[in-house]
Amino acid sequence: MHKFGGHIVIMLVLLLSACAKREEPLYQQQLLTFGTIVEISIWGAEKGLAQQASSQIGEDLQQMHNDWHAWHDSPLVRMNQALSVGASATVPASILPLVQKSIALSRASEGMFNPAIGRLIKLWGFEQDDLPSGPPPDPAAIAALTKQHPGMDDLILDGGRLRSTNPAVQLDFGAIAKGHGVDLAITRLRELGIQNAIINAGGNLRAIGKHGDRPWRIGIRNPRGEGVLASIETRGDESILTSGDYERFYEYQGKRYHHIIDPRSGYPVTGVISVTVIADDAATADAASTALFVAGPQRWREIAKKLGVTQVMLIDGQGRMVVTPAMAKRVRFEVDPSPKVTVAPL
Amino acid sequence: MMTRADGVVVALALALLPYLYLTYWGSSTQGEEVRIMVSGKERMAVSLRQDRRLAVDGELGPSIIDIHDGKARFTASPCRGKQCIHTGWLGRGGESAACLPNRVSMVVVGREQRFDSVVF
Repeated sequence: MHKFGGHIVIMLVLLLSACAKREEPLYQQQLLTFGTIVEISIWGAEKGLAQQASSQIGEDLQQMHNDWHAWHDSPLVRMNQALSVGASATVPASILPLVQKSIALSRASEGMFNPAIGRLIKLWGFEQDDLPSGPPPDPAAIAALTKQHPGMDDLILDGGRLRSTNPAVQLDFGAIAKGHGVDLAITRLRELGIQNAIINAGGNLRAIGKHGDRPWRIGIRNPRGEGVLASIETRGDESILTSGDYERFYEYQGKRYHHIIDPRSGYPVTGVISVTVIADDAATADAASTALFVAGPQRWREIAKKLGVTQVMLIDGQGRMVVTPAMAKRVRFEVDPSPKVTVAPL
Repeated sequence: MMTRADGVVVALALALLPYLYLTYWGSSTQGEEVRIMVSGKERMAVSLRQDRRLAVDGELGPSIIDIHDGKARFTASPCRGKQCIHTGWLGRGGESAACLPNRVSMVVVGREQRFDSVVF
């Protein structure tokens, strides 16, 4: 009888543990701000703190969006006006780090990442949250802008003042602002004592810490099919970010025009579908993924080396996948059958 | 020698097996429901097990969401860019789509999230 009782107790404990709904200390919140959808995941923090952190980040990102967007009236628009007439402008404190990072990354990428082509982006209509609907711009207007070669090297940053030696320079931080914003949001989380989190602002992702006792698992959207192509488990603190021709585009008379404009030709880059980069911070990953996209299948390795980025996956226009050896060790394909992948040393 | 009590325990354990299998070894990444939000606030949570069509009122008008065969997608939207529709079907835990102009978003939730977040 005693033995029987013991078994019953064990069974009851098993049943109880099977029935009990585990309360996971995971807080998730979606915000529509910064011109995109921002997902915040926080693990292991008290719910009140997680809520407070999330609403604080929502406010921060909205403020950044107001300061950094390149249309309507914003501090950036006012600065651009000064640059276009050759005047020097005081760089607002919220924009200064963006300018500094952009100059460095543009130089390292040999101008493949070029936030000085604001006029070109505007001509195509990709500067705003709403997508343009076509038709594409007049080729003569595109040529008129590209032949002036606006670049970050035309800028002279002296203390807190900025001027341009080329009146064609207009700054548009579309290829770095969201990454930088995510970096600032992560800093904010840490200030609030949160050590395990993901911030994903429209695909611009940085993760810190872990999901309990396992790493965070990040999916990479399938650029042509549906769902998720591959996944990566994060290590500590890093950013995973993809630039793709499918993110922002319009179709006009059966032709697709996407938002990644080659500063040299003035047209959307052809020959690449997507570039995924893992880097220490999201601003670098954001700018690097754009730079490698623009560099294309021929030059991306060389530019990646110059940018100090070692973990890259590129899908070319034919859908062929190339990964660096460091990325090959990280990526796990989630489609069946697994695609053919070429490993290319940098 | 096996007693009657042992027999009861074994029978109970066997009865528990299908549940344990489904819980821990089943298709844990398959989404179970889709949570639909308007302006970031949850409007409804709908099971993916039953096919249906939903109209969710956003800022510009109704976003149409279809649920079919355990997956969900935007099928019609009053926005201009139609990026939400381009996203296609979502079926695994953690996959999400959004119509920013209409401020309607959705995320698939499973028993276990296969992905904590998805970059696109």
